[in-house]
Parts: sequence; C-alpha cells; structure tokens
Amino acid sequence: MAAIRVRDLRKTFAAKRKAAGLRGSLAALWRPEHDTVQAVDGIGFEMEPGELLGFIGPNGAGKSTTIKILTGILYPTAGDVDVLGFVPWQARRDLAFHIGTVFGQRPQLWYHLPAVDTFQLFGKIYELDDAVVRRRIDALADAFDIRHLLLTPVRKLSLGQRMRCEVAASLLHQPRLLLLDEPSIGLDVVAKQRIRDTIRHLNAAEGVGVLLTSHDAGDIESLCKRVIIVNHGRIVYDDKVSTLKRQFLTSKRVEVRYAESMPAGFTVEGTEILKVGKGGYGVKLAFDTRRTPVEAVVARLAAAGTLVDMTIEDPTLEEVIRAIYETARPHAGAGDGEASAAVATAGAVGEPPGAAP
Amino acid sequence: MTPAAPVPPAPGTGGALAWRSPAARSAAKYRAIFATQLAQTAAYPADVAARSLSIVVFMWVFIHLWRATYEAAGQSQVAGLTLAQTLWYLVLAETIVLSKPRPAAAIAEAVKDGSIAYQLNKPYSFLLYHFSVGLGDSLVRMVGNLVAGGALVWWVAGPPPDPRGWPLVLVAMTLAWAIDFGMVALIGLLGFVTEEVAAFEWIYSKVLFLFGGLLIPLDFFPDGLRTVAERLPFAYTLYGPARLFVTPDVDRFAHLVTGQLLWLALVGGLAAAAYRAGVRRLTINGG
Repeated sequence: MAAIRVRDLRKTFAAKRKAAGLRGSLAALWRPEHDTVQAVDGIGFEMEPGELLGFIGPNGAGKSTTIKILTGILYPTAGDVDVLGFVPWQARRDLAFHIGTVFGQRPQLWYHLPAVDTFQLFGKIYELDDAVVRRRIDALADAFDIRHLLLTPVRKLSLGQRMRCEVAASLLHQPRLLLLDEPSIGLDVVAKQRIRDTIRHLNAAEGVGVLLTSHDAGDIESLCKRVIIVNHGRIVYDDKVSTLKRQFLTSKRVEVRYAESMPAGFTVEGTEILKVGKGGYGVKLAFDTRRTPVEAVVARLAAAGTLVDMTIEDPTLEEVIRAIYETARPHAGAGDGEASAAVATAGAVGEPPGAAP
Repeated sequence: MTPAAPVPPAPGTGGALAWRSPAARSAAKYRAIFATQLAQTAAYPADVAARSLSIVVFMWVFIHLWRATYEAAGQSQVAGLTLAQTLWYLVLAETIVLSKPRPAAAIAEAVKDGSIAYQLNKPYSFLLYHFSVGLGDSLVRMVGNLVAGGALVWWVAGPPPDPRGWPLVLVAMTLAWAIDFGMVALIGLLGFVTEEVAAFEWIYSKVLFLFGGLLIPLDFFPDGLRTVAERLPFAYTLYGPARLFVTPDVDRFAHLVTGQLLWLALVGGLAAAAYRAGVRRLTINGG
C-alpha cells in the first residue's frame, strides 16, 4: 500500500490585488479586488513506504502548499489524498502521530529554552512514555551529533545546529513518514551535508519515508532516488534522479581564478568560455558532462595555470525545467500526453504558461 | 554516526501511554505545554520584574486620584466602598488586565509568518494549545503584578481583605481568565481570514476597561448603566473577581461563578465554531 496517494489535487487561493501607492490603498478599501491563484493544479502521484522522494520546483511552484495539504493543515479545493491511510484534513490529529514535519526556517523548538525541553514536551504531546522519550533523545542525540547542544538555549545555536535539532525533534515520535519542506534553506555547505547524511542514515536505519521539498537540486541529487518536479502547480517531471541527472543535469558552470593572467584567446578543450574577467585572472566557462567529464575539465584548468579559487555549479532548477520543456517540445506534436512520455517515463504532464517558444 | 536505537512503535491511539485514559493523556500534554511556557517566561526574571513596575505606576496614579475623590466626597465610604477597598479592588483588576495573555496577536502573527503550520500539525487542540501557553505566560506575570501592586497598596492603605476569601477569588479569577481568553481567541481567529487583528483587539480592550470596571468599579456607575454592565461578560472578567476580593461572600461567589460558567460556555462554543470555520479558509503565507 502506498504511503502517499494523491489524485488530481487542486488548491486555489484568493489573493488581494491593490494598485500602488496611497490612492491604490484607498481604492482597495472602497472596492477590494482579488486575484485567483491556482497554487496546485491537478497534481497526482504515489509514494511508497520508506521511499526517499524529492519534490522540487522553483519558488511559487506549489510544493509547500502540497506538503501542507498532505499534513492536513490546508484544505484542498479539489482532489483525493490518502496519507498512511488517513485523509489528512479530516484526520489531522490522528495523522500527526505518524508523520514528522520540518518547515524550512520556521522554528518549532521553543526559542528561549534548551532544545531538550522541547524534546520532552513533544514526548508528552505525542503521548510517549518518559523512558521511551529518554531513550529516543539519546539515540537522536548520537544520530544528529547534537548531544553537546541539547542543554543550550535554542536562541544561542547557529542555524545549522538549530536545523539539526529541528529535524531530530520531528523524529522523536518515530514517524513513518517525514515531510521536509526546505530543510536546508540558508545552510552552508557543511551543515547541508550533515543534514543530508543523517536523513539518509535514518531512512536506512528506521525505514522512515521522506518527502523532501527543496529548490536546491543538490539536496535531491544526494538524497533521493526519485524526483518529482513541479512548476506552476503541475508536475512536469516524475522519474528517477539518475535519469534526471543523465538528461538534464548535464551542464556545469565553472568559475576559476588564476594567480597569473591568462592569455587572450584562452580556451579549454571540451568547454565553452563564457567570460574572461578584466586582466585575464578570472574565467567563467560551461561544459556538458556527457561529452567532457568533470575530472578532465578540472585537470585541464589546473594545467593551464596556478589556480587560486574554483567553484562548480549545477544548472538552476529554472534551467532544468526549461530544458525539460525544450526536450518535450519536438515530440509534442499530438499534445501534452506525448510530450510527457518523451520527457519522462512517469507522469510529466502539461506545459506551463509561457514555456519555451 | 551511531544508528538510532529502535524504540517501541509510535503512538496512534495512545501508543506507549495507551493504558491511560484519553482524558488523562490529553491533560498530561496540556499540562506539559503550560509548564514549558511557564519555564520560558520565567527564563527572564528581570523582564518579569521590570514589567511588574508598570502596575506600581498605575496604582500610584490611582491612589492619588481616589484619595482626592474620597476627600472631596468627605465620606469614608462612597458607593459602598472604602478607599482601601477601592484600591485593593483596583490592584486585582489591574493584575488581571496586565497579566492577560495576547492570544489574538500570537495567532495573527503565526498566520502572517507561517509558523501556524507547526501549531496545526501536532496532535493537540489548537485552541487548548494557546490556552495552555497563555496560562503559563500569565501565571508568572500575575504573581509579579500582584506582589508589586499589592505591596504598594498595603503600604498606603493597609492590609488586604480577609484571606479566607482568597481561594474563592482564585477560582473566580481562573474563570475570568478563561472567559477573556475565549473572547480574545475569537478575535485572533479572525486572523485566519484578515491576518491583521490589532484594531479588533484594541477595541475589545477599551470596552473591557470601561464595562469591566477597570478604571472605575461598577458600583460608581449610574444605576441603569450598572445594571447593563453587570450582565456583560466584561464584568465577569474584571469587576466580579475584584469585587469578590474586597467583600468575600459565598452568595456573591455562587452568583459570580454561575454567570462566569454560562459566559464561558457561550464564548468557548463560539471560539470552537469559529476555529472550525476559520481553519477551512486558512491560507498560509510563504506557501
């Protein structure tokens, strides 16, 4: 039985509209106007128990709204949802015993108290026996490496430390499903990696299913086997991460800085030079990993001069989504159904307003 | 990294505490929320002490105003109250007002910043969660206000009224607190739709000050206005407990508590209905 089953989910909001300035404010007071926002527009998917599923999309794509409907916080406008056998908005409190949630940087830990106080409070809220809570805190303190942080007031913790405590708190009652909404937002590379490592470990050790939203493709690459990409409230891709990487995460952008100036007409085999900075010290280039492996580019760049600094970037989600639509278009002759079949083996549908020309 | 040790299955209908009754399990979680908020408020004793100074300022003004009023009247009693009784009445009424939680602001803020997502996805009642948090927050401030205001009035007007009435006052104050919570929670639930509720809260507080007898005990009101005011929920929130404090009496207590329970049932029912209606319309900022 699927842990999550979603069918034709829709959510519409009414958003206030107001012209700029005082005149606009007064006019809105007299005659308020609203825009209808289709936050979720016919989403459907299934998630297996214990699966690590990425649910990604740009800002405003509808991923957070979907998560909040899955937890029972928001009521959908239409559609069917089953989470662990519950209809979330009808059985929010019963479902809460079985799921854990983390909503980005919004804190659930009590700010002025040590994290351990929130853990113990959650033990009561989730109706756990005191001895079980103690054992569970002990286990999570090791898993998340937070034992030394537990007695420090939350306000004194760094963002990375706090997020480890936040995720640990959401696992106190050993949920069967963890819904993480942008858990790595604002974190540095090291903190992100620690969170990812621990989530992957707990998924293996406890079998907890993880639905992870992020607009950082790196989260999904390192954690999930399957990914759903949403845009404008619709699913545009639903398939293995390996397929996504093979098909759409192939371009890399590199920025290097040399100790010495590079000569005019500087080239690196297998790459496209995008820009050479003033003085020739900084170079921006792009390459396709299907044609040129990363290690080959790095070796060629290192051989060209003394490297002072180097960053390698994946394409942004917006670029990936654009690439998905562009790939779909040549096959799309008979309509969206064919397009989606061409893009992915499962579930890529629709076309966003203003997609590739 | 050490593997997380397996633990007994997570609860669904009581889990590890299934041997306890549902009511006992519920009581335990709200007691824990109350105690956690108590600890959070008490984490800053200097803040609590500084806030308590405001009642000293208010009472200092009241002492001078009412002393002048009694001197002008040339009587030891006005409207059935001595100066000392009036001042002790005002200490209690001010304590209730200054220790009140602000669930309306808290709910509206949570809707605006999106943190309401965490308050709605835990296995507890949203309203009872805020009730428990508010009670924990109020209790610390109530003690601070009562001690600071009471010390000043004791010094100026003599000892407090008969301590044998204090347990009755405690019951009445608890019910008064609950009625006020229900009223302010109703305003806060408007935030599910309007997001901003500061104006509604401001109007409520001014009506409460006036018809609750915060500035002038209802005994000093003209008869017609007094009759109306005494039947409103505001009087059961401020005037009732404060008046019971200065003239403790079992009949007065029984009359007060009966009225309080009726108002509590009405306001509590309205708040529960407003929550059920509001949560369906809720939109959360930031997705």
